[in-house]
Amino acid sequence: MPLLEIDTISKSFGGLKATKDLSMHVNEGEIVSVIGPNGAGKTTLFNLITGVYTPDTGDIRFQDQSLVGRKPNEIVNLGVARTFQNLRLFMNLSVLDNVLISQHHNLKPNWLSAMLRLPAYRRAEREMRTQAIEKLAFFGPRLMSFRLHQPVYVLSYANRRRTEMARAMATGAKMLLLDEPSAGMNPKETAEITQIIRRMRDEGGYTILLVEHKMNLVGDISDRVVVLDYGEKIAEGNYRDVVSDPKVIEAYLGKKAEDDGQTGEVDV
Amino acid sequence: MTQERLEMAKAEAASMEDNRGRNTVLAVIGLGVLIVVLALLNSIDSSKLRDAIALFAIWGIATVSLNLINGITGILSLGHHGFMLIGGYTTALLLLDPATKANIENSARSQMTDFTLGLGLQESFASWGLGFIATDGTLWVRFLIAILLGGLLSALVGLIVGFPSLRLRGDYLAIVTFGFGEIIRLLASTRVFAPFTNGALGFQGVPSEFGKSVWWTCGLLALTVAAIAKLKYSSFGRALLGIREDEIAAEAMGVDLAYHKVFAFALSAFFAGIAGGLWVSWLGGARLDFFLFQLTFFFLVSISVGGVGSITGVLLGTALVVFVRQYGDPLEQVYSLDTWVRFAGVVLLLAGAGLMLYRSANRTGRRLPKAANLWVVGSVLALVFLGLNTNYGALGQWLTQFGRGAYLWAALPLLLVASRTLLNPQKRFYLDLVAVLSFLGLVVVVGSVAGNTWATNLTLVPLALLIFLPSETSAKADVYWFGALGLIALLLGSVAIDLGVLQTTFRGFGIRAIFLSVLLTVTMIFRPEGILGRAEFSWAWLFNERRDKPNDEERAQDAWLSNPELNQQAAQEAS
Repeated sequence: MPLLEIDTISKSFGGLKATKDLSMHVNEGEIVSVIGPNGAGKTTLFNLITGVYTPDTGDIRFQDQSLVGRKPNEIVNLGVARTFQNLRLFMNLSVLDNVLISQHHNLKPNWLSAMLRLPAYRRAEREMRTQAIEKLAFFGPRLMSFRLHQPVYVLSYANRRRTEMARAMATGAKMLLLDEPSAGMNPKETAEITQIIRRMRDEGGYTILLVEHKMNLVGDISDRVVVLDYGEKIAEGNYRDVVSDPKVIEAYLGKKAEDDGQTGEVDV
Repeated sequence: MTQERLEMAKAEAASMEDNRGRNTVLAVIGLGVLIVVLALLNSIDSSKLRDAIALFAIWGIATVSLNLINGITGILSLGHHGFMLIGGYTTALLLLDPATKANIENSARSQMTDFTLGLGLQESFASWGLGFIATDGTLWVRFLIAILLGGLLSALVGLIVGFPSLRLRGDYLAIVTFGFGEIIRLLASTRVFAPFTNGALGFQGVPSEFGKSVWWTCGLLALTVAAIAKLKYSSFGRALLGIREDEIAAEAMGVDLAYHKVFAFALSAFFAGIAGGLWVSWLGGARLDFFLFQLTFFFLVSISVGGVGSITGVLLGTALVVFVRQYGDPLEQVYSLDTWVRFAGVVLLLAGAGLMLYRSANRTGRRLPKAANLWVVGSVLALVFLGLNTNYGALGQWLTQFGRGAYLWAALPLLLVASRTLLNPQKRFYLDLVAVLSFLGLVVVVGSVAGNTWATNLTLVPLALLIFLPSETSAKADVYWFGALGLIALLLGSVAIDLGVLQTTFRGFGIRAIFLSVLLTVTMIFRPEGILGRAEFSWAWLFNERRDKPNDEERAQDAWLSNPELNQQAAQEAS
């Protein structure tokens, strides 16, 4: 029984069809990668799932509840959280505050008890801090001790990515959508993030859908790979099969010129 | 592995609460000191000072609450005067006493009805059999109830105004909130609401013993600051800050934008209503022109100058604005032109000194500027105030009042310089020079206190030397320009009377507003985020605790983590 089920969704912006009759699913405990050339509609897919856009047709179901028409924060409540491709952290706030904000929607005590610091709120606050640090500890000592209190704008790009992943984890979501988690990281850091994504699934119990351009990362951790091109799914399956699929190669590298019925030479 | 991580997280989270006990003790002591200082100020027999403190507290409540929307939630709202109006008129209406009521009834232009005239709490309580809070001695109970009701009514309107904020952003929302503020003011004068507001006549005789009382106003300010500070550092405050930083990200992380924005508006409007009640009491009456947009403008200046989002900074900004408003009147009088030229010289010199300080603080990254610079500023202040001595009318008198305090300024940095020169074995030449000059300056200060006018003019010599002294911090052309122009203006102003020039008079009409505008402009140029920026006072400042700065061990570990040459093993594992 799939955790997330996407049923023939389409989305167009004016004349541009960003997503065309896309169907896919993600099972519980899986790591699924979405790949495709630039402009294939990967980020649009994420935006459709997380409620930033509403699909024109079709349905998205998470644990048998439709996500279509819900606000982004309601979707987080249901258990789907995301990271952003071009980092949307709370730049002037500390790392810890960033990870605490994403737990706010689970807070039980109301604002008055928060203002008066009633015992129930204090307990909740302590619990939130513990959770935040526990999530940040996925990344080893990198975001610990003094880094917890540093504003995000002083962090390196890789650390910002890690913070964003920790922030998404801390929402308490079951499923994480990671939009290019290794963008801007060097090979060593990429290898590290690969390990961490695997551990997020194994130890944290998260189901992960990720968009990624680095093929070695995708090949390393994906249980399944979905390939998009021009908003359509052109292949699906395990990494080895997918990368040798002629359609996928065509999408990435293009056809040979003679296959198009054109000559490669130009008359002078 | 998971268990281990959880244990570690618990320990780390617990370690963050280490200083709570100490901070509580310090907070109690700090509050005690504040109360003593207030009591001392209150005991000074000057209604002007008391009025200024009370106004600072009232406007402080308004700015701190406006800051909750503008600074913390990051929504530019311009309708605060409308919220204050609601709280103010509610308070005025509920505090109607029989005498005022009779006055209004007898007035031919009164627009009030019997029903609205009967809303006064005193008569209502008496008729409900609650005579014990209807006496003259329990006016304070009725006042409390009135401002509370005013605040609640204002919060209700805040809820309504908050709704457009869900669909609008930035400039558009600012226009809408401005419109709302004006609508509230204009509605109050229409026939529908005139029975409640008495139209253009408004109310007179609102009891002013609360709005003019230092204890009442500062007490309510303390409550407001406590409430909003506690909120800011709670999960709700973090959510609001998240909305300020990035609305889309906040929503994607589960923050309910609609709830939090409307909540911020309502809470802010509540405190604005309370400020409105106190404001009406401070003025002793309620009229529609007490709630012009100008009011919100003053609050915005306070916030922008002090520090957007910082409660401490906003209070600082309010103090500046209130100071200029309450004590700026000597600036708006008639003086001969040479006095104005001297004044311009003072401002230029202060600007030069301020720039120097700012640069030095920026360059060295230290909070406290070098002792030498303190000395420079102190001397400049002292000498400048002496230069404008009492011969020059009310402006001179006004300045020398503050000038007396400036001698201390000159003496304290002198001590600092001396101690540093003594303690530091590697004395630097210029520090010695500064010490010598400060000695000279002190001689001159003493001479001019003794009343020797020649000594007063001599003060300009060390001043000139100081401004042109090539220290590492003043080595920029603009500081020299400020210094040179300021000195020329001062000298010109001093000799003008002998030369017989610049003797016509000029009335400084509206200088206060101009001064505020210049203050705002200069702050925006040098520190767009306000004097304090986003920084908030905390006890950690006093102890120089910086949680975001690594200690040596942490720094070593950080280097080890990020440098593959130091961390061979991890590099091998990764590859």
